[in-house]
Amino acid sequence: MATNPVPDHVPPEMVRDFSLFTSPGMPPTPDGDPHAAVACVHDGPPIFYSRYNTQDGRGTWVITRAADQRRVLRDAETFSSHRSIFSSILGENWPTIPLELDPPAHGVFRSLLNPLLSPKRVLALEPAVRERAVELIERIAASGTSCDVMKDFAFPFAVSTFLRFLGLPDDRLDTFVGWGKDLLHGDDKERPVAARTIVAFIDELAAMRRQEAVDDFMTFIVQAQVEGRRLTDTQVRGIGVLVFVAGLDTVAAAIGFDLAYLARNLKDQQLLRSEPDRIPLATEELLRAYPPIQLIRVATKDIDFEGAPIRKGDYVSCATMIANRDPAEFACPNTIDLEREDNRHAAFGYGPHRCLGSHLARREIVIGLEEWLARIPAFRIKQGTAPITSGGHVFGIENLILDWS
Amino acid sequence: MRIIVQKAKCQGHARCAAQAPDIFKLDDDGYILLGDIEVAEGEELPASRAVRSCPERALELTRCAL
Ligand code: HEM
Ligand code: SF4
Repeated sequence: MATNPVPDHVPPEMVRDFSLFTSPGMPPTPDGDPHAAVACVHDGPPIFYSRYNTQDGRGTWVITRAADQRRVLRDAETFSSHRSIFSSILGENWPTIPLELDPPAHGVFRSLLNPLLSPKRVLALEPAVRERAVELIERIAASGTSCDVMKDFAFPFAVSTFLRFLGLPDDRLDTFVGWGKDLLHGDDKERPVAARTIVAFIDELAAMRRQEAVDDFMTFIVQAQVEGRRLTDTQVRGIGVLVFVAGLDTVAAAIGFDLAYLARNLKDQQLLRSEPDRIPLATEELLRAYPPIQLIRVATKDIDFEGAPIRKGDYVSCATMIANRDPAEFACPNTIDLEREDNRHAAFGYGPHRCLGSHLARREIVIGLEEWLARIPAFRIKQGTAPITSGGHVFGIENLILDWS
Repeated sequence: MRIIVQKAKCQGHARCAAQAPDIFKLDDDGYILLGDIEVAEGEELPASRAVRSCPERALELTRCAL
């Protein structure tokens, strides 16, 4: 695994034995804390080279300071986000949109999509989100004093909210979750199969909406015009695939890590249960502590960055979990302080690609925690069970068995 | 107290408006409106909290009334 040769231009002393995929705590680990495990990079230099740091096993530069990550992510001219992260799994080369378009093309599509997930629009979606949370949690509360949060709440809640946004029915929810798992956490055989399946599904959905319009996201996309022209099939696919994948795993993982934290920290759990007004602020701290995503950019030209000779074509990693534990930016970064106020965390990224779904994601997490704490009494991790966590391109938590007997 | 808004830096996180919705007005996409903001007396605390929560450093506090 971690045996890629070091490219000639990388000075050997800048290579470190660190990887979001293979370092200790990154492969699936019972009772792991992968976010805390990566914080150790702050004892080292601001930039170094990792030989194995993407899902397809490539080396990347790793930027550790939040301020430097901001520099990279704002400078799309030097650090492009076009790397065919999805289509390369299929041996193809088309961008997911808007993620893999650089400005100015990025802005055109971003403006098209922004209103669909603006703070105002999310406000209108909220009652349905809350209703779904209540329904799931009441079912759990009525059926016993223990459950697997991931399977019984986090995934169905996040994914059905999101399917509703896309205009898709709930009945294939488990199938979609399975595709997402294979795509993000599967092996070299499972990933292309999942990617192919998702593309076929999005293409088919687009074709259906072209034939018959309904009031949903995909209809909006196939009817949309950019600079006076309808979108091409590849553009429609690029948007559909991205939005589908972006909402599958991230919110569920966040809710899982958050409830695992609260299950292990009963004082904080009790504080939020008795004073639910604190949940929005606490959610920001939990987003800081447990963000799921590593951002990757490709250098478009040679550049020396903080002493590192970055060459055209090199990959540059800006991991949100690393930025969020930067001691230059956060006092006591490894302490989780639910009342933290100075908290400009990077969970949703920085710069023009700032998460399009952030306003929805944030409200889903807040509502999920509010309704959970209002309905489930003091809970802990069930004795004899251990949540399995993993690092990687999207950090995850597989299972979380809670007990409130 | 006055807040200098660098609109070009705003990426629409909407963290400022979440802290102080009456002080920080967003457009329909969730990005801050153009123009500096005069903060009324008594609103300094939420205003400065909001400034400190902007991930893009698009907001800056100044005490002198230019
Ligand atoms: C807690 C949940 C989530 C987290 C932590 C998260 C995080 C992120 C991050 C860090 C980026 C920037 C990627 C980059 O710059 O390379 C991003 C982009 C994006 N996210 Fe999310 N996301 C979440 C949920 C969602 C949801 C629910 C949706 C859709 C409804 C969504 C849609 C998108 C889209 C479309 C982009 C690309 C935006 C662009 O390129 O302009 N995300 N997300
Ligand atoms: S917090 Fe900053 S980036 Fe976000 S909307 Fe306000 S000004 Fe814009």
